[in-house]
Amino acid sequence: MELRYLFKKTQTTSSEPENKNEEQIPSAPQGLFHKCARCGETIFSEELRKDLFVCPSCGNYFRMYASTRIAMMADEGTFEEWDTDIRETNPLGTPGYEDKLAKLRDKTGLDEAVVTGKCLIDGSQAAIAVMDCRFMMASMGEVVGEKITRMVEKATEQKLPVIIFTASGGARMQEGIVSLMQMAKTSAALKRHSDAGLLYITVLTDPTTGGVTASFAMLGDIILAEPEALIGFAGPRVIEQTIGQKLPEGFQRSEYLKEHGFVDDIVSRSDMKEYIGRILAMHENKGEFKEVKYKEEKIAKKSGKLTPWDKVMISRGKDRPVAEDYIEDIFPDFIEFHGDRYVRDDQAIMGGIATFGGHTVTVIAESKGHDTKENVVRNFGMPSPDGYRKALRLMKQAEKFGRPVICFVDTPGAYCGLEAEERGQGEAIARNLYEMSSLKVPVLSVIISEAGSGGALALAVSDQIWMLENSIYAILSPEGYASILWKDSKRANEAASEMKLTAKDMLDLGIVEKVIDEPEDLKEENLGSVTSRIKNGLTEFIKANLVFDSSALCEARYQRYRKFGA
Amino acid sequence: MIKKVLIANRGEIAVRIIRACREMGIETVAVCSEADRNALHAMLADQTICIGPAPSSESYLNIGRIISATITSGADAIHPGFGFLSEDAKFARICERCNITFIGPTSDMIAASGNKAQAKKTMMDAGVPTIPGSAEAVTSVSDGLRLADIATYPVMIKASLGGGGKGMRVAKSSEAFEAAFLTAQSEAKNAFGDDSMYIEHYVEHPKHIEVQILADKFGNVIHLGERDCSIQRNHQKLIEETPCEVLTEDKRREICEAAVRAAKAVNYENAGTCEFLLEPSGKFYFMEMNTRIQVEHPITEWVTGIDLIKEQIRIASGEKLEYTQDDITLNGHSIEVRINAEDPEHKFRPCPGKIESVYLPGGKGVRIDSAVYSGLEIPPYYDSMLAKLSVWAPTREEAIRKAQTALGEVIITGIKTNVDYQYGILTDKDFVEGNTDIDFIDKHSRK
Repeated sequence: MELRYLFKKTQTTSSEPENKNEEQIPSAPQGLFHKCARCGETIFSEELRKDLFVCPSCGNYFRMYASTRIAMMADEGTFEEWDTDIRETNPLGTPGYEDKLAKLRDKTGLDEAVVTGKCLIDGSQAAIAVMDCRFMMASMGEVVGEKITRMVEKATEQKLPVIIFTASGGARMQEGIVSLMQMAKTSAALKRHSDAGLLYITVLTDPTTGGVTASFAMLGDIILAEPEALIGFAGPRVIEQTIGQKLPEGFQRSEYLKEHGFVDDIVSRSDMKEYIGRILAMHENKGEFKEVKYKEEKIAKKSGKLTPWDKVMISRGKDRPVAEDYIEDIFPDFIEFHGDRYVRDDQAIMGGIATFGGHTVTVIAESKGHDTKENVVRNFGMPSPDGYRKALRLMKQAEKFGRPVICFVDTPGAYCGLEAEERGQGEAIARNLYEMSSLKVPVLSVIISEAGSGGALALAVSDQIWMLENSIYAILSPEGYASILWKDSKRANEAASEMKLTAKDMLDLGIVEKVIDEPEDLKEENLGSVTSRIKNGLTEFIKANLVFDSSALCEARYQRYRKFGA
Repeated sequence: MIKKVLIANRGEIAVRIIRACREMGIETVAVCSEADRNALHAMLADQTICIGPAPSSESYLNIGRIISATITSGADAIHPGFGFLSEDAKFARICERCNITFIGPTSDMIAASGNKAQAKKTMMDAGVPTIPGSAEAVTSVSDGLRLADIATYPVMIKASLGGGGKGMRVAKSSEAFEAAFLTAQSEAKNAFGDDSMYIEHYVEHPKHIEVQILADKFGNVIHLGERDCSIQRNHQKLIEETPCEVLTEDKRREICEAAVRAAKAVNYENAGTCEFLLEPSGKFYFMEMNTRIQVEHPITEWVTGIDLIKEQIRIASGEKLEYTQDDITLNGHSIEVRINAEDPEHKFRPCPGKIESVYLPGGKGVRIDSAVYSGLEIPPYYDSMLAKLSVWAPTREEAIRKAQTALGEVIITGIKTNVDYQYGILTDKDFVEGNTDIDFIDKHSRK
């Protein structure tokens, strides 16, 4: 017999219940707790608010009210709301539609599914729109389309950047074809905004689908996403039913989109304001170029003459710094952007924006890894077509905002593989040569180690090309050269001498403008001796191009390549 | 008056609270984890709700489940016991928002006591002695020396980002300061990448003295004397006694009145404990305020005759204290010994498992607070305390004899316990003669 049945329990029949009024009876007031839809945890609302509506137990992102989002982003007291008085016309005469909207207005305190206006974000002005799923799943009817369009038009007029936090179920069924037209209308307004040289950032939040994805959500110069947001055109259930297949894990989530080249980066809620604030600041023209003279450390005396083959081996050395190390040193505020907006984010090329002396530049680099693990991710610095297309996208972005492009070249060559050919490796390289030749902003390329063939040239149709002393530039690898000409790849050493691939050779041939002195044992620890020289050169390059005439720039670049030949 | 209490705890303290409620005619609701379905508290309460899996985070620490158990059971109050959520300001706050009486202080008081820097400042302002030392961090020897003079020697030099004993040094005099400071500073720089240091008075060979406070919602505050909890291993108390033998009547009054001032300074309500360090010189320093019922509360109950759990419930119900300070007299001497399921021969590792049989002593002046019975499986998820044996006798000498006698009768088979280890302390010459301070266990384990 268990003890529980043996104990004599409360003998008290402690009087009749007191007459408590409703408020005194223990109960959880409405809204005191939130339940996490993913892990089921009950969360104290105050705590959830403090954590910006991210579940403290499983990290799940709750959907946010537009007002909360604006409070999170805008500097206190700076938000000014626009266009709150636009009312629907019920274009198709859908019965009961007006009543439904009136009820939603009462319930949510919103006038429609998007809030627009302008504010300061870490001191930078921006027009901002935030969608709110509580209102008709933030579907895009005529009022949503109109509010966004007016906001973008006003931003164009006032020369303001635009930031849109998207969240939507898609088109609004009750408004039919008129809803569809909002996609064209908002996109057209954004085209004018972009043609005026203004910045547009989208932040995709859960869920961004349908007609919103297929219009303004995907048109940002910079597209950011919150972690694990559902982003897609067709809904996953519809796709599954149509193709009769189970969709892969993580399909249509932010991370999946980033991997497939459509999202520049995934930014956590707690970092969002600072992150966007930095991007905005980098797109504002703030005063003078701040010139700094960097101390060029002495480079130790060298052992003797290195043969071309020695230099080939040095340029491939496993401890030799890679592009990431140069970027960290020269551009500590570098923000990386991902993806080609077509297929994939190729990590053999990294690119983004940074400042140098307060001047914003676009930085693009062929990137090897520090070790095997990183090299697998970076494909040993051999870019695929997606990498070159990402590079071109970022160059075009630089052109739009009139900032110089700085490239770091370090690749054994473009990736040689099945998928690379399928997606047009040749076309991608060709396109870069073609577009770079007339890019309307200054372009500088620095060959830091290996510059192999077309894969290197695709980042080196530039106004100036610099080379590190022990780097090499060649039409193909010495091994390949020996095997084609002499049917013996073991004679690579000999080939290296014949091929004329050293920095000195390049200077003599007029291929490069400058050779940068480097220590014989260049590694991360003594990289400063090289980067200080690059930084001083960069200062001169930017100073000379603070004001530039783009047609003169393009003409000079044309002539720079025109001269090679008989 | 509270009608139905949910006990958000387990083990002997849950049993202790259920008993008090039953005597007061208050209904009880126990909560238990899946590992505790056969625990005594779960069988003894009028109603029991299983609130989740064994890990505390999913049961006894899970605020959402405890609140919903409270609301569905119709309880109007929660007693948090000690440990678990007892000093969680957020939990108290949620109770307040849900109209559930939290049997303890308000959430604001818990939060204020939890903020050590702020609490120290409040106490200094209220004239409660605190350890003299720098509020600011210093990086140079000369600034350090200046602060050390103010703090008075010996001083403790510690890294402002410190922890784990790294970057800590004691300097006994100004001559030894520089060397100690520089060593500690370079350690700190290596370990934490920061070389800013705090300097404070180093309290040498102190006793851990704490004062029991009761305070009602009307600003009445009384103390119920002190407890000497110097017998500790790794900050875990092993044996507690009251009164503290070395305190003179005047010193006792001084410390206890400081504790009352401390409680008044934060408008404290319900039961609480002020912890102090007492130097051999007689100087004492406020450490912190514990805003809960303490494990060792029975010894205070022995010498005062007051049932602290019942007082907690009365105060939480909004009643005025029935006693004034003059009503409180401290009689005789009481000692408590904690009996844990742990193995002293193997670094005191916890020893959960099935209790085959248990025999616990009784008799005049002997009290057992426990939740064990023969056949109970001790789960590995929670604290290892099995029982508290407390005794009362007119004098310390007699109380020690009684504790030795009672502990000698304790039989628990099936799992390892610290009974023999505790018996060793009770019969140690230094303990018997009252030569104890917080280094007692360290010193004796080295012997």
